[in-house]
Amino acid sequence: MIELHDVSKTFEGKRQVLALDHVSLQIAKGEMVSLVGPSGSGKSTLLNLIGGLDHPSSGEIVIDGERLSAVSDDELTRVRRDKIGFIFQFFNLLPTLSCLENVSLPLHLRGWKKQKAHERARELLDLVKLGKRVEHLPEELSGGERQRVAIARALSIYPPILLADEPTGNLDSHTGEDILKLIRDLHERLNATILMVTHDNGVAESCQRTIRLRDGVIVEDIRR
Amino acid sequence: MMLLRLLTLPYVRKHLLRTGLTIAGVALGVLVFVGMRTANDSVLYGFQQTVDRIAGKAQLQITSGEGGFPEEVLERVQAMEEINIAVPVIEAQVKTGLQGQGNILILAVDMTGDRSLRSYDIEEGEDAVVDDPLVFLAQPDSIILTREFAQQNNLSVGSKVSFDTMVGPKSFTVRGIMKPGGLASAFGGNLAVMDIYAAQHVFGRGRSFDRIDLTLKEGIALDQGRQAIEKLLGAGYQVEAPSQRGKQFETISKLFAVAASLNSLFALLIGLFIIYNTFSIAVAQRRSEIGIARALGATRAQIRNLFLLESALLGLTGSLTGIAGGLIMAKGMASYIGQFLGDLYGVAQHTEGLALNPQTLLLAVGVGVLTSMVAAWIPARDAARIDPVKALHKGSYESITASENRWRLVTATAFVGIAAFCLVTGGTSGPKLYVGYFSVVAASVLATPILVRALILGLRPLLRLVLPVEGALAADSLMQSPRRTSATVAAVMLSLSLVVGLGGIADASYASILDWVESVVNPDLFVGTNEQISERSFRFPASLGDEIRKLDLVDEVQTVRSTRVNYRGTPVMLVAIPMLQVQGRIKPKVVAGPANVFEAAAKEGGVVLGDNLALLQNLNVGDMMEISSPSGVLRLPITGIAIDYTDQLGAILIDRSLYLKHWKDETANLFRVYLKKGVTPEAGKQQILMRFGSQNRLFVMTNRQLRDYIVKVTDQWFGLTYMQIFVAVLVATLGIVNSLTVSITDRRRELGVLQAVGGLRRQVRQAIWMEAAGIGLVSVILGLALGGLILYYYLGIIREDMAGIRLEYVYPVKIALLLAPTMLAVSWLSALGPGESAVRASLVEALEYE
Ligand SMILES: Nc1ncnc2c1ncn2[C@@H]1O[C@H](COP(=O)(O)OP(=O)(O)OP(=O)(O)O)[C@@H](O)[C@H]1O
Ligand SMILES: [Mg+2]
Repeated sequence: MIELHDVSKTFEGKRQVLALDHVSLQIAKGEMVSLVGPSGSGKSTLLNLIGGLDHPSSGEIVIDGERLSAVSDDELTRVRRDKIGFIFQFFNLLPTLSCLENVSLPLHLRGWKKQKAHERARELLDLVKLGKRVEHLPEELSGGERQRVAIARALSIYPPILLADEPTGNLDSHTGEDILKLIRDLHERLNATILMVTHDNGVAESCQRTIRLRDGVIVEDIRR
Repeated sequence: MMLLRLLTLPYVRKHLLRTGLTIAGVALGVLVFVGMRTANDSVLYGFQQTVDRIAGKAQLQITSGEGGFPEEVLERVQAMEEINIAVPVIEAQVKTGLQGQGNILILAVDMTGDRSLRSYDIEEGEDAVVDDPLVFLAQPDSIILTREFAQQNNLSVGSKVSFDTMVGPKSFTVRGIMKPGGLASAFGGNLAVMDIYAAQHVFGRGRSFDRIDLTLKEGIALDQGRQAIEKLLGAGYQVEAPSQRGKQFETISKLFAVAASLNSLFALLIGLFIIYNTFSIAVAQRRSEIGIARALGATRAQIRNLFLLESALLGLTGSLTGIAGGLIMAKGMASYIGQFLGDLYGVAQHTEGLALNPQTLLLAVGVGVLTSMVAAWIPARDAARIDPVKALHKGSYESITASENRWRLVTATAFVGIAAFCLVTGGTSGPKLYVGYFSVVAASVLATPILVRALILGLRPLLRLVLPVEGALAADSLMQSPRRTSATVAAVMLSLSLVVGLGGIADASYASILDWVESVVNPDLFVGTNEQISERSFRFPASLGDEIRKLDLVDEVQTVRSTRVNYRGTPVMLVAIPMLQVQGRIKPKVVAGPANVFEAAAKEGGVVLGDNLALLQNLNVGDMMEISSPSGVLRLPITGIAIDYTDQLGAILIDRSLYLKHWKDETANLFRVYLKKGVTPEAGKQQILMRFGSQNRLFVMTNRQLRDYIVKVTDQWFGLTYMQIFVAVLVATLGIVNSLTVSITDRRRELGVLQAVGGLRRQVRQAIWMEAAGIGLVSVILGLALGGLILYYYLGIIREDMAGIRLEYVYPVKIALLLAPTMLAVSWLSALGPGESAVRASLVEALEYE
């Protein structure tokens, strides 16, 4: 269960930018939601806030009953690592680690044994059809392949909540389909909550619910 | 230039701290170089200035070692037809006993003739004294002071002032005060003029002078005059223009200069790695900018030149900073070295201000800029090679290719081979020693990445044992950026090895000196003219020795007379001792010749050389020594060589009977006194002081006190070494701080990702700490190992070229034990700040951080 109460986010800087403007929102457990809106409307910002990577300027975010503003940084990290898988708009892979190591990193951080972690990582890389590239460094991969590694990393912990920022933005439609299937699979098999930013109307409409942002405000919330 | 403004300035602005640390890398090397050299120059300059000011119009000065020469020499010189005026001089440095004044230089002259050579610009005083020197003569307690000294101490004409003399503290009456400038500014104004015949008495000179100052008749060339005098007096005398006098002390200060140059070179080498490190990281970080610039039409040469220009500017800034720091350091050191030379060699000098040598400064700037550019060369070349397409394709990372590793391994092995070859083919001296030394350093630098990799692999399980996840992360991070890691390790390794080398020298020297003291310094008491055994301004009449011998607590007295003589241009110490007597009491540490060296020398009329002199001048038993004495050149066989630390420049030991015969000097500097069995040193000391303390200026030291004094002098001698050790530790610290700061800020994004995918702050923080500890540990291990090798070569260089001292190889375990935790703590501390700021940074920003 994800709840946002009156959440605003302003970026201080040369000019103040109001990226989110009193956003309130509830996403139930197991929902699959697409987040759409023009560039700069605040989609990534919203995802970062829910994922606890950033703090709202005002308002409250509650995940499974835990108010993110009330917990310490370590607890926030723990919430993130136990509950949330992140697929970033700009991959954010570690350039010095191989695919396998990148994918198994979250498992290592949870103290998994190397062998077990690598086993799981291999499984996931197979799933994203990169089973043959496990030893490669990110720089040796194409943009789409990197995105798939990032997805495998996000899925490695079977997160109850998956936050995906344009997971298929860099992919051809065919690979994009595969990725979406993967995400849907996670949703169906493990009843994971999915929040996915997309510019693709078809993808957006395939979700149970679509939220549209414009200038930091929710302008539309469709359930199908 | 446009590129510089567009690509460099924003980067520098963003990384001010890093830029500063890199500049410091150059600055430290330059600082040591400029500091030590300028201090040296300043001391020499101060000495030369004092000589020049005192010399007045004198064209030539005649001396005979330190011992002086009989009065009649003056008459013979005055009788020469080439001579216009020749006047006698005695110089003595004495303690003023006045608060904050230190020593005063007493210039004793013959007032009747001296005024035609030196102008005594008297501004105040009894006219009679000033106008008629005979009145001055008639009152042997007369003294003329400089206005500066008089004012500082509230003295005026008629005041009494007391100085230490041979016959105890003696009161003088101020009869005149000199105007400032010229002569009055010699020795920093701490100058007093008195009558030479009174000085002979109060400074124990007997009927001899220290020096003759002279001018030649018009039309006589300097060289012509000098040759004529040399011909008349023979080889026991030095005839020099005052402007040449500084030369002889250059040999002493050369010791400092050589050490300083070696160490500043080393510091610059370390700086080289720091700069290399910074530039390779900068190139890696700016890949995309470079790629864009290339895509937009910048040529390879433009990119390379951009980085070289950056490095030149950096080097220039570093050099200028270093020069500024060096001059500050020189100021402190000049008085230290000056004091030291004054104490040990009786060099009358007073360092005023710094002697700036434009050559040194230019060289410093040149070397600083060059080092910086050499260090940036490879990164600049790499930058130029960046392929625009690949660079825009984000994030390509450094690695060391297998072929490079092979190349490194082969070259390093070759250097090891050279070093080994030098070693087994008798490379303990000469060029082979240096070739071996450089080969070892080169091999270790080349092999650093390989060694680092091996060590980290070995360390990984250990780190994982401490903290499984964080340890593995730390070890992997180190392995994944081999260039950065090994450049850091190389810098720190080199500085630590320097510390071990220098520390080892100090340790070994102490051990060796104490060993010598143990075997040779065994009399119960030492009676000297001063609390400093080495001071030779005052001397005793030989008869004092006989009288001490008559005391009922005294068993034996050995009379020692030491004086400096010129040997092949070096002022070495001639020590006259009663050899048979000495042989009966001590067991000298003989290096060559019969075990009873002194006895043999006495019987054969030969000399015993200190080991250091023999090594430095390449002399062996059986060689003939040519020593100039006032009665001509003596040719004496070397009958033995023994360890001797009497003097850093080397000692020649001869039998007292030979000295009496050829130097015609019955005075003594020191009595070695053995007490009767069962008498305590205190009782013996008491008796000597009771009996002679009132009539003579004498100091009695117990064996214990002398040993303490020797340790103190040794400490002083090693003060400079410790300073260099301090600089080396500083450089090591700088290396670690620089690279950890750089590498941690460089990895902000990675650290952000770690946290974003679930790493706790604590985990990330500890991974950073362990990484720092890992780098520290690896550097310490390699540094201590390399230090052990370097020490071997340092001892060789000291033995062969610097001090001629044979030091036993002992690894400085204490220093190593101290260094290891220090450097680990330094690593940790320097990771603390950047680590914390990286961990606390906003994740969103870190993730976007490029
Ligand atoms: N760190 C920041 N500092 C200042 N302004 C920011 C920052 N991050 C985002 N913004 C601003 O906040 C607004 C929302 O940004 P956000 O990244 O959420 O947009 P988005 O909807 O994800 O756009 P896109 O579809 O292009 O990814 C934008 O106007 C952006 O300029
Ligand atoms: Mg976005």
